[in-house]
Amino acid sequence: MNGSESVFRETSFMETSGEPRTEALPFSHLSLELGHVYMDDLVEDPTRLRRHFAAVRPWADAARAGLGTPNSGGRPRVSTCFLIDDYFSRRSTPAELIPPLLEAAAEAGLTIDYLARESACAGPVPGGSRPLADGSSRRGRAEPADWVLRRLVESPPPGTTGFRPPASCTGWLANGRRSPSLRVSPALNSAGTVWQPPGETDARVHSVFLDVELWSGQEEKRSWSCAFLSAVWQLVRLGLLRDDGHAVLAPAPWEDEGFPAAWDALAPVLRLNPRAAPFTAYVTCSVLPARFLPVEHAVRVILDQVHVESEVLGQVAMRCAAEGFGVPSEVVDRISYVFPPGL
Amino acid sequence: MGGLGTPSGPVLACGEVRTRLLPTSDAVDERTAERLLRLRTDERVRLSRHPNRYAVSPGLLTGVDCRPPSVNGASSRVVGTVTARAVLVEGRVLQSSAHFSAPASGPDRRRPWGHYLGRPGCLIPVGRLPARSVAEGFLAGPGPHELDVGSIAESLMARVCRHRILDFDLPLTTVNTSLRWTAVPAVEGEATSVLFTKADDGLRTVALRLPHGTAPAAVAGLCEDLALHDWLLTTVAYALDGLPAGHEDSGLPKVLRSLVDHLLHLWMPRGHVDRTLHAVWEELDEHTGYSRQWNVMGQRIRDQLVLRAVRSRHQPSAWD
Repeated sequence: MNGSESVFRETSFMETSGEPRTEALPFSHLSLELGHVYMDDLVEDPTRLRRHFAAVRPWADAARAGLGTPNSGGRPRVSTCFLIDDYFSRRSTPAELIPPLLEAAAEAGLTIDYLARESACAGPVPGGSRPLADGSSRRGRAEPADWVLRRLVESPPPGTTGFRPPASCTGWLANGRRSPSLRVSPALNSAGTVWQPPGETDARVHSVFLDVELWSGQEEKRSWSCAFLSAVWQLVRLGLLRDDGHAVLAPAPWEDEGFPAAWDALAPVLRLNPRAAPFTAYVTCSVLPARFLPVEHAVRVILDQVHVESEVLGQVAMRCAAEGFGVPSEVVDRISYVFPPGL
Repeated sequence: MGGLGTPSGPVLACGEVRTRLLPTSDAVDERTAERLLRLRTDERVRLSRHPNRYAVSPGLLTGVDCRPPSVNGASSRVVGTVTARAVLVEGRVLQSSAHFSAPASGPDRRRPWGHYLGRPGCLIPVGRLPARSVAEGFLAGPGPHELDVGSIAESLMARVCRHRILDFDLPLTTVNTSLRWTAVPAVEGEATSVLFTKADDGLRTVALRLPHGTAPAAVAGLCEDLALHDWLLTTVAYALDGLPAGHEDSGLPKVLRSLVDHLLHLWMPRGHVDRTLHAVWEELDEHTGYSRQWNVMGQRIRDQLVLRAVRSRHQPSAWD
């Protein structure tokens, strides 16, 4: 585009809207998740944390080593994070839970750079609404999960023409075509309609059909599923989520000795290590217990159907290219997992 | 993906624009327009005040995997997303516009869905795309089990019109129109061209041959502008059709007032069209005489008003 066209566009669109702008973020090479533990587990078995980090340590080292040396020389930038589940349960307070958590990690030789609250992925996020030029607030609440929900573009099973949307099921997302529902009981089914199997769209000969529950409950009191919040969490770590072009869940520094008694007194993402590499990264690796495998399969099904803004993807692609770091073009291929034994 | 006919770009772009009067008694203000078109919470409505008030919704993607329309029954399959958006002009005329572009060929089997989401508004063929046949088939309309872009535009229109702030008390009888368009790149040495066809049932088709590198989104913008002005002409001509001559005892027909209140100020050709495509509008206008016809109709409405105003001096009650 030459200069005169650019000037023309500026003048043809109004000041209050203009073309959308996309905020740039700093990036590490790798975001390494050292664990995701249900609060109930921690409360019931305090020794669990020690065993957890001891089991994670060698795999965390392997994930770092797997990055190799960046083309630009030097060490790869790796930031570590830990997600605390304060959404499904709040049996403990930050003051009770966080110090032993950091201690147990340190004992295993691990540093938690960033600590995030799972409820932050659901929202509302404190400070998430921004005042507009006219002094009003564009919205009272900022909800990353809701933004991701609205960016879902369902994968169409073959035969989807646009005439009517695929048989979507409110609050659920599948990786293929659902089994048609029989409207009558088999005893009354005089037409002899037989059951038809569901089908995975990308099946290789045989299907692994998955139908993911994204949320439950009424809209006002919606309860997001663990799988959906985990997908939001991955997008946040990959730096691919924006609210109208603005960064979301930016880490807030935390340098106090103690922690408050209420989770909501903490920012959604805390930077505990002042020297940490950036929170957002080109690729992610999560070291998780194997029982999270079904959840993470669901995360992959969700991420495969999230439409990330082209400008955001383009920004990351340009940064990676400038650093000579190869990042997969598809979002779902940017996340990886380790499910170590004994975790 | 690049512009039409570029090495990595599409060889075909197709779309459909639906146009209607916003189903409410008065034009809506900018804030209301923003509420109506706010289809997603994470992206704002784009607003423009110059050269007229114009609001554009965020784009919405619809996934499809099906046979494209074709005139010769050639079997092919496309996978990807159709992009759609709603446009509100001067808070009064609502348009929904859906389009896609397609390259000449694609992988031999469907790729993971993320591959297609990285190319929004692009339908990638499985194998080769019979582009000419698809372009002709698209203008003829979809057959059973074929890609149906019109339905995508229609469902977006319906979604906006379901908004509870609309009172469905229309000030004018109007028709709803559909404009189906295709665009292919002109081969070297070939002139660009535009073929506009108008059917009685509110359907218009536009076959465009455009310079290499033209962005599909710019073509969609041009076609929205064509559809808007064609709709304005159609609507005003329909309203004036059979308008009784101003007899001594006749009052001011409501229809004249409504045309002045709601439509006469909306004529603004090329208002939001990419500069590179202004020539296409001008070429079309040259052949169809749209602007001349609009000016004549506008003059006729004003003349009628003046005439009736003069007569009403003798019969003041006629204005009541």
